[in-house]
Amino acid sequence: MTYALEIKNVSHWFGTNKVLNNLNLQIAHGQIVAVVGPSGCGKSTLLRAIFGTHPPKAGQILADNEPVTKPCRSVGIVYQHYTLYDFLTAQENVAFGLKLDQTNLLFRLLQFPKWRELQRQHLSQATDFLNRVGLSHAVNNYPHEMSGGMCQRVAIAQAMIMKPKILLLDEPFGALDESTRTDLQLLLLRFYQENLEAKRAGQIAPYTILIVTHELNEALYVSDRVIGLSQYHADGTNGATIVYDRPSPIFHPDDPRDFDIFLKQREELRKVVFDSESKKRHEEFVTFWNEHADLLASTTTKA
Amino acid sequence: MIRQPVQLRTRIVISALSILAMFVAYEAIAMRQSRINPKQTVVPGITSIWDGIQKMTTPNSRGETWLVEDVKATYGRLLLGLGLGIGLSIVIGVAMGAYPWVEAFFVPAVSFFAKIPPTAMLAVYFVLFGTKTEMFVAMVGLSVFFTLAQSIYQVAKKDVTDHSVFKAYSLGATSLEVIYEVLWKQILPRVIESIRLQIGPAMVFLIAAEYVVGDVGIGYRIRIQSRILNMNVVYIYLVMLGGSGLLMDWSLTQLRRKLCPWFGE
Repeated sequence: MTYALEIKNVSHWFGTNKVLNNLNLQIAHGQIVAVVGPSGCGKSTLLRAIFGTHPPKAGQILADNEPVTKPCRSVGIVYQHYTLYDFLTAQENVAFGLKLDQTNLLFRLLQFPKWRELQRQHLSQATDFLNRVGLSHAVNNYPHEMSGGMCQRVAIAQAMIMKPKILLLDEPFGALDESTRTDLQLLLLRFYQENLEAKRAGQIAPYTILIVTHELNEALYVSDRVIGLSQYHADGTNGATIVYDRPSPIFHPDDPRDFDIFLKQREELRKVVFDSESKKRHEEFVTFWNEHADLLASTTTKA
Repeated sequence: MIRQPVQLRTRIVISALSILAMFVAYEAIAMRQSRINPKQTVVPGITSIWDGIQKMTTPNSRGETWLVEDVKATYGRLLLGLGLGIGLSIVIGVAMGAYPWVEAFFVPAVSFFAKIPPTAMLAVYFVLFGTKTEMFVAMVGLSVFFTLAQSIYQVAKKDVTDHSVFKAYSLGATSLEVIYEVLWKQILPRVIESIRLQIGPAMVFLIAAEYVVGDVGIGYRIRIQSRILNMNVVYIYLVMLGGSGLLMDWSLTQLRRKLCPWFGE
């Protein structure tokens, strides 16, 4: 069985403070999964563990069945504050991964003409990708010449062009204004539509995304599945674990942005995940795979 | 108003006037001194300066002029010392910024020696390297090395975030590529700036060392000629030092603009 991401019995602690407690999660190819949770519940620790910079103290994380123990090609990331390379233009930033992945220093030095040819192809692919994220007018701009929203689009293009097994978005729209935020949310919905089209054509969906966000509306709007991480447990267990895992409504980019559609689910999510008084049995709300046996079957078949 | 911008043309005119004012003031002082004592050489006039130039450019018994001998000696020592010091400090500074164990190994020594004025170390250099070229090269090289390595290491730590390093790995980079493609390219403009700022002190230490123990070079010539009050020669050497300093400064600024257009001014 191959999942884009599989988390097996993951726990993490700092000294005596247990942050993550026995987390288990499977994400299928092509899903956009939103992770929400109260401040300090361990969302960032989980993200760092999946990215490989801070491996968990117990348990295992697999990306496409390969263990993740350090940052690697299988797991991409987009940070809240973009982290673009200042010395590269938007186009070069997007093509940077292709260069690093497909060539090495010796090749670039010793086979310069071939490298120049390949570089032209990389830059052309990068331009295409920038067109898709609406930045055709800014290909030659350096990061300091672009707005926050433009930088974040470049960062998304930079990560997505590499088609990682799973892409982590760490509160990617947190620092942006409302209008830019909406544009980028629609961008994610368009990527999701590409996944659906790929599935219809019998191909593996290209984009699997795990997005960490504080915004409940955003979580329910851009994802097809919402996971709630919380330290508030009915059994008094120490450390955060998954207390909510349910499908979320799927929006088409052309659909009206009507958040009332998921009003009931948002309230449920708020109570289960964020309300420290409302300690319930987790199993009641961790039902994604029960409701999506078909997805599990297709994942199993793929393997 | 404070910081009211001026037009480029106005700026050029003001700068030209400032240079002209310097020449006029100098010539006025020279003429006044010559009226008081026609044989004075402390503030030589234009004709006396010309005599100085001729002195510097007349071949000596070895068939070489002072100017060529001194320029070759001083700038040869400077460039060799700078080359070694800069090269070594880039390798060590970048390694310190990239690998915490290299940082832990070098930080105590680099921080300590960077605080000792190189001129105070002259005696040590005499003992270790004698008084020939090696001593001057070692002094320039080591004086640049400690300060520059410390500055490169700090820039590499500060300007290159963990996030940009981790992201490069996630894009498929090897450690060597992270160092060259991310760390080095990010810090390059600041390295060039640090080198630019190191040239002045390196020149000070070299001229001071030549002044004390040199038998050829600009520092040596200034010492000998000032003793016999041949200030017409001394001033020309000073102008030459100032001019070459400005030239190196300008060249490095141009290099930074060319290599790092993203860095701005």
